Amino acid sequence: MEFTRRHFFSRTASGLGIAALASLLPRELSAAKGLSGLPHFAPKAKRVIYLFQSGGPSQMELFDHKPKLQEMAGQEMPESVRKGQRLTTMSASQSSLPLVPSMFAFKQHGASGAWVSELLPYTAKIADQLTFVKSLHTQAINHDPAVTFLQTGAELAGRPSIGAWLAYGLGAETENLPSFVVMISPGSGGGGQPLYDRLWGSGFLPTRYQGVKFRSVGDPVLYLSNPDGFPAENRRLYLDALEKLNRAKLDDYGDPEIATRIAQYEMAFRMQSSVPELTDLSKEPPRTFELYGPDSRKPGTFSYNCLLARRLAERGVRFIQLFHRDWDHHGGLPEGLPKRCKETDQPAASLVEDLKERGMLDDTLVLWGGEFGRTVYCQGRLTKDDYGRDHHPRCFTMWMAGGGMKPGVSYGETDEFSYNVVSDPVHVHDLHATMLHTLGIDHTKLTFQYQGRHFRLTDVHGKVVKEILG
Amino acid sequence: MLGRVLCLLVVVMCASAEVRFNRDIRPILSDRCFPCHGPDAANRKTALRFDVEAGAKPAIVAGDAAKSPLMQRVISTNKTLRMPPAYLGHDRLPDKEIELLRQWIDQGAQWEKHWSLIPPKRVKVPGNGVDYYVRARLEREGWKPSPETARATLIRRLSLDLTGLPPTPEEVDAFLKDSSVNAYEKQVDRLLASPRYAERMAMRWLEVARYADTNGYQTDGIRDMYRWRDWVIGAFARNMPFDRFTVEQLAGDLLPNATLDQKIATGFLRNHRTTSEGGIVPEEFRVEYVAERAETTATVWLGMTFGCARCHDHKYDPISQKDFYRLFAFFNNVPEKGQVYNFGNEEPMIKAPTTEMSRKLENLDRELADAEREWERVQPQLAKDQRKWERNKPGEWSITRGLILHLPMDGAAAPLESVEGKAGAALRFDGAKELAAGAVAGFDYLDPFSIGAWIKPEAGDGAIVTKLEDYFEAEGYGLYLIGGKLQLVITKRFTDIGLRVETESPVTPNQWQHVLAVYDGTRYATGTALYINGVEQKLKVLFDDLNYPLGNKEPLRIGAGGGKRFRGAIDEVVLYRRALTPKEALAMPVLETVPEIAAMKPERRTKAQAAKLRLAFLEESAPAALKRLEEARLARKRFYGSIPTVMVMKESPGIRDTFLLKRGAYDAPGEKVTAGVPAVLPAFGERPENRLGLAQWLTDPEHPLTARVTVNRYWQMLFGQGLVKTVEDFGSQGEWPVQMELLDWLAAEFVASGWDVKGLLKTIVMSGTYRQSSRVTPELLERDPENRLLARGARFRLPADVVRDQALAVAGLLVEKTGGPSVKPYQPPGLWQELAGGSGYKQGSGEDLYRRSLYTYWRRTVAPPSMITFDAPNRETCSVRAVRTNTPLQALNLMNDVAYVEASRALAVRGGIGEMFRIVLSREPSAAEFAALQQAHDGFLSYYRANPGEAERFLSHGESPRDKSLDAAGHAARAAVASLILNLDEAITKE
Repeated sequence: MEFTRRHFFSRTASGLGIAALASLLPRELSAAKGLSGLPHFAPKAKRVIYLFQSGGPSQMELFDHKPKLQEMAGQEMPESVRKGQRLTTMSASQSSLPLVPSMFAFKQHGASGAWVSELLPYTAKIADQLTFVKSLHTQAINHDPAVTFLQTGAELAGRPSIGAWLAYGLGAETENLPSFVVMISPGSGGGGQPLYDRLWGSGFLPTRYQGVKFRSVGDPVLYLSNPDGFPAENRRLYLDALEKLNRAKLDDYGDPEIATRIAQYEMAFRMQSSVPELTDLSKEPPRTFELYGPDSRKPGTFSYNCLLARRLAERGVRFIQLFHRDWDHHGGLPEGLPKRCKETDQPAASLVEDLKERGMLDDTLVLWGGEFGRTVYCQGRLTKDDYGRDHHPRCFTMWMAGGGMKPGVSYGETDEFSYNVVSDPVHVHDLHATMLHTLGIDHTKLTFQYQGRHFRLTDVHGKVVKEILG
Repeated sequence: MLGRVLCLLVVVMCASAEVRFNRDIRPILSDRCFPCHGPDAANRKTALRFDVEAGAKPAIVAGDAAKSPLMQRVISTNKTLRMPPAYLGHDRLPDKEIELLRQWIDQGAQWEKHWSLIPPKRVKVPGNGVDYYVRARLEREGWKPSPETARATLIRRLSLDLTGLPPTPEEVDAFLKDSSVNAYEKQVDRLLASPRYAERMAMRWLEVARYADTNGYQTDGIRDMYRWRDWVIGAFARNMPFDRFTVEQLAGDLLPNATLDQKIATGFLRNHRTTSEGGIVPEEFRVEYVAERAETTATVWLGMTFGCARCHDHKYDPISQKDFYRLFAFFNNVPEKGQVYNFGNEEPMIKAPTTEMSRKLENLDRELADAEREWERVQPQLAKDQRKWERNKPGEWSITRGLILHLPMDGAAAPLESVEGKAGAALRFDGAKELAAGAVAGFDYLDPFSIGAWIKPEAGDGAIVTKLEDYFEAEGYGLYLIGGKLQLVITKRFTDIGLRVETESPVTPNQWQHVLAVYDGTRYATGTALYINGVEQKLKVLFDDLNYPLGNKEPLRIGAGGGKRFRGAIDEVVLYRRALTPKEALAMPVLETVPEIAAMKPERRTKAQAAKLRLAFLEESAPAALKRLEEARLARKRFYGSIPTVMVMKESPGIRDTFLLKRGAYDAPGEKVTAGVPAVLPAFGERPENRLGLAQWLTDPEHPLTARVTVNRYWQMLFGQGLVKTVEDFGSQGEWPVQMELLDWLAAEFVASGWDVKGLLKTIVMSGTYRQSSRVTPELLERDPENRLLARGARFRLPADVVRDQALAVAGLLVEKTGGPSVKPYQPPGLWQELAGGSGYKQGSGEDLYRRSLYTYWRRTVAPPSMITFDAPNRETCSVRAVRTNTPLQALNLMNDVAYVEASRALAVRGGIGEMFRIVLSREPSAAEFAALQQAHDGFLSYYRANPGEAERFLSHGESPRDKSLDAAGHAARAAVASLILNLDEAITKE
């Protein structure tokens, strides 16, 4: 059954001032519409796919090539570089802080000559389409505050996540799917730092703006399927009766919330078919699976989630966020890091390619990155073929593609230790400001009043990094 | 849309023409001007400020708006002059605001103290004060209140409001039949006296108090605060006056002769989130906890956003950054850690037995005392028995209880050299080689253990016994000589998780001596002991933060490990899976055999020899009195260990200095401050400068905020929104109360009643205002869409917990049992693992599935999904504002969650369509409603008749047994209708 607001108005007028209803009814439905006045200017990107690499991938092994380190291997980290900066208590009392170079080789790729590690061959191939920011920095030194900071612009829980801000500000482009979807893959080790529902929460914004987690076990959306023994035909019969009764109640009581309730049950019904349609990959040609790699047939893998991300983007979902876990290589980095790369390299690069082929890359912003970088010095045991790196907030690398970014650019520089940013620093607040900018939002003007204050994603900071915009 | 509502409201509110500073002007100045011309000194661009009258003088010519620079600047067409400034992204002020400013200045620019800082005055009014004020206001608008709602609706409304559960059909009937004048009041009294009332009130308080079963940050380890929840339920059940409720939770521990209950109450201030994340800087988080307490206290009792002043002066309210840290100081004196234990409660905590547990513990104590007396009594007899035993030539004996490894070191173990030992031969270690003892003794951090050996060291550094990877910072445990001293090391991660203790005195080089390390499994250095030759050594604690399970698969090594090698001889290595007692430690180095000692004259025996003989005798003769004593000790210890703990507040000896923290950063201390309250609030007076003083100050009858904020929260519970909608903010950015006199009357009466919560609720629900019909007419909708003036009753969706509890109740599944540990009802599988791995959610069974939702296990990082879907606060931080959304996910949850499908199946057994309808909605269906349900029912029935297997499947959801004697198709069809009824808007709405 097609259910539109027009349809709704034509049927609910009895006993109620139509004008009153017309102005008051859409309080919930207008969530789909976003704020008036937004976007503030013509957006380059209509949607975002954020490939969050949780745990903090090492920039030195992947993108931030530091050849001089090879000569200094094993030497003590110079205090002139550290400058008394705080360390985590995991390495603060370590007796020595020996420098350790990347075990993995780098080459320049594409016309842009971007340095990319041998661990990321697929990413290397699309280097000319990517915008690398090597000077990203954050202020948190541990996972929880750092991931929370990337997600909400504050280290402590309680603020809305990026996706919630966008759902609130820009509304939805689809009435059949949520406007903010999250998917998680654990990494083959099964371990890694935990994630928390609040990372895609709505903070002080109404809960309807929170991200909806699409799951790989059970229903993709919680409680989506009808109970066993209750087929869709029964559900239709059920919903028709429910609507009739609720409508009688609306006629009697005139509470606009009842009208919203009726609409939400219909939306639920539509989701019962739109979500299975979304996750039904049977119509994808074999080439799709070749592109994304063999894992793309396995629900719960990063590869599968990348493919779903493209399908969600096609269906008008505004903010799609993937989390891949287990990048926290305090020890055993030479063994762990290649595994994470293998799991993510091909699907992430293929997603960009796929979007491009479909003409969607221009208005889709894709991001790849973790919550912080890793230290140039070794944490824990250092042997010829084993080492680890601690958390490092002062610099890390992220790449972006599509959606208004300038391709084939590498922005910002770190020192020869990949410890401090030496030119063009980009703070997390700047990243947020820039993301919002591509979506046509002035980050200083997307606000919500809570506890008396006009809150923003970028707090009182953030500047748009114009240099990386196309 | 929002604009439209505001505009309607402004029309409503501005019906009286006079412009009032607090209502009309301060909100404009606050929102538009304070950020640069307000209380925050650091951000003030010029001396001009609009938060105080004197500061605004230069900009205002009272009585003449046109001449006032303020007015000139806001209406200026020159963008560089216009205020608020265009360069900050502001547009011209709306005409309405400009007009209000103009009128106010023209009328003389009268200033007022912020309304919420003026204490409410008690006023006598005729009849019920709620009705008096609401009706007076409606009259001013020329409106009439709505008629009283239908009695059936009223009893359901009242029951849901006061107990969180619907009335039973019998309760509805009783009320409908009761024609006495006070029939309604009898219901009010009945419901207020019900134990369900306390649970209902406790649920809201748990949200305010951010109560949860886990820590919240990162790995989200477990905690156990249910005894605090029990306290809350008890306090509401006894109708504890709100001032006492306040004092006990903020400072129960500081009351003279504080009772166990009063200490438990302070758990309120420990409910905040904590972290056990490795690598954090503990002080950063300790500061966070203290700040959180200050902010929560300010939100809950003052309705003030103190948190805004943490990094800088408040931008809107007269709270300086210094004020924030003065409040902070009250909570800064707790002996606590920034990095907490991941597997249970963290200090400070206390044992919190229930009454029943206390009784049992007393019995066990009595039995233990009896056993001890008995033990004393038999001593003379035992002495006689021992002498007899000694004469009977006892055999050799050694300590074998709990022994898991004994290496006599007597045989050859090439390439180690065999040398003369203390008992037989020993092995000599050359500082390079080692003896591997295999995969034994895999003690974890909560396992008690003891390690003993004879050593003859030739160097000051070396490993004696270890089980860890072969470098010193590795994970595992080991007994070493370091710098000549004996050192016990238990390490998870060397830099921050582990335990290290060493003897103050060194061992003697090149001589045989016995060493023994004992650890009691309590994870603290206080639970360790090191002995040399049976003498307990003074210890130096090097590190004391053992809080995480160990994992290592290394073999046990003798003379090596941890990157160290032993130089010298080692003999008689023993490992026990228990903590040896001091007496055993004394006896262990005794080399003389039991027969040898027995043969000696008693007065010639050393203390150690005597101890060994005594231990041997007791073990072999096993006297009944000893057995009884040991059993009594064990029973008491076991039971004591099972008693739940609760985290509480405690003051450190001395006062920890508090500093203003620049930018709120833990490592940027500024000026030193003392505990105190902002100058704009009532004086603190002569009260003690601690939490107790603070609690007394908050509950002073003259305090302008506490009572207002509290009655407003209860008003929100009953009407869906506060009289001040910004429940969390009574400051200048907060909402001007639409019904100020009513709020003040309620607050003053509340204080005068002795802070009587039940009394307050009774006053409100007895009012005609509360009892009105909640029908919305087009006219009402147009004029007052949000129902701020209360010309109709409140109608809103039930809170998450009530949605579920109601379903359980009407299904007859609800298990009513007050208090106790949290339970784990249905939850879709995998939710915990996909975020955090691990073994995941272990769903409960039986009664655990059907308890009220306030007992549902609350994991902060993955909160119960059906609660969150229905807008329950996530318990991360204090939440006082009720939020209600209306989403498709709620529809899916209510239709498809096994909890509701099962409830529908159970409800379907309770009667036909009409009865089910009545059980849920407390009223009869209309003919049309009945017909619609009947039609759906018939459709379902024909489906299930045609598909009997489907009926079976539909009836298979949920754990509760199903009555198989019922016709499956009929049952399934009725269950489908039951689900439909539970999904009706009316069913999940308080009407």
